[in-house]
Amino acid sequence: MAISSAQDLFKKAIVYGTFLAVAIAAVGSLVSVLTVGISGVYAALVGAAISTSFSLMTIGSVWFGSRLGLNGFYALVLGGWLIKVVLFGVVLAILQGAQNFNGPVFFFAIVAGVLGGLGIDSWLVLKARIPTVDN
Amino acid sequence: MDAVNIAELTGNIAVVGYGLAAIGPGIGVGLVVSKTIESIARQPELAGRLQVTMWLGIAFTEALALIGLATPFIFG
Repeated sequence: MAISSAQDLFKKAIVYGTFLAVAIAAVGSLVSVLTVGISGVYAALVGAAISTSFSLMTIGSVWFGSRLGLNGFYALVLGGWLIKVVLFGVVLAILQGAQNFNGPVFFFAIVAGVLGGLGIDSWLVLKARIPTVDN
Repeated sequence: MDAVNIAELTGNIAVVGYGLAAIGPGIGVGLVVSKTIESIARQPELAGRLQVTMWLGIAFTEALALIGLATPFIFG
């Protein structure tokens, strides 16, 4: 299906982003079990969940914000960013003291999620044929 | 006022990393959003297209924040 509106684009980005999270969780868990053990599996699962929820929240804030007019749009996108960074900081503070949690695996799961998400987003935007004048 | 000896300061250097990882992308996201709003105010009929471009700009900027915030797990 061709992408012909911003709504289609955001929907597809959410679907593909979810697939990416599942793929990173599966591959990360498998590699971790074979190399560092169960502590890496927890780290891969948490890393995939965090990186994907971060990019899905961005898509959601732009999508819902576009229905609210300029002020609402601004508030939702920047407020969403603020909440994300605070939440991520709290989660990281908790995880740093966690037992049975492999830090490097977590880091690489986050990087894979972020870079994979960027690849999907860029590919979708390049593929999209959105009309200049919005309906 | 007593002089502070830097060598006697205690704490986790990762905290400085958290701060630095938030400042840069924070400025970047603010710039991306402000320019998009300026553009939409000039040409409201382009809103849909500009918001898509803005989303891509935010995604790239906040990638730095996520990676920067997670670095204490590999360097710490």
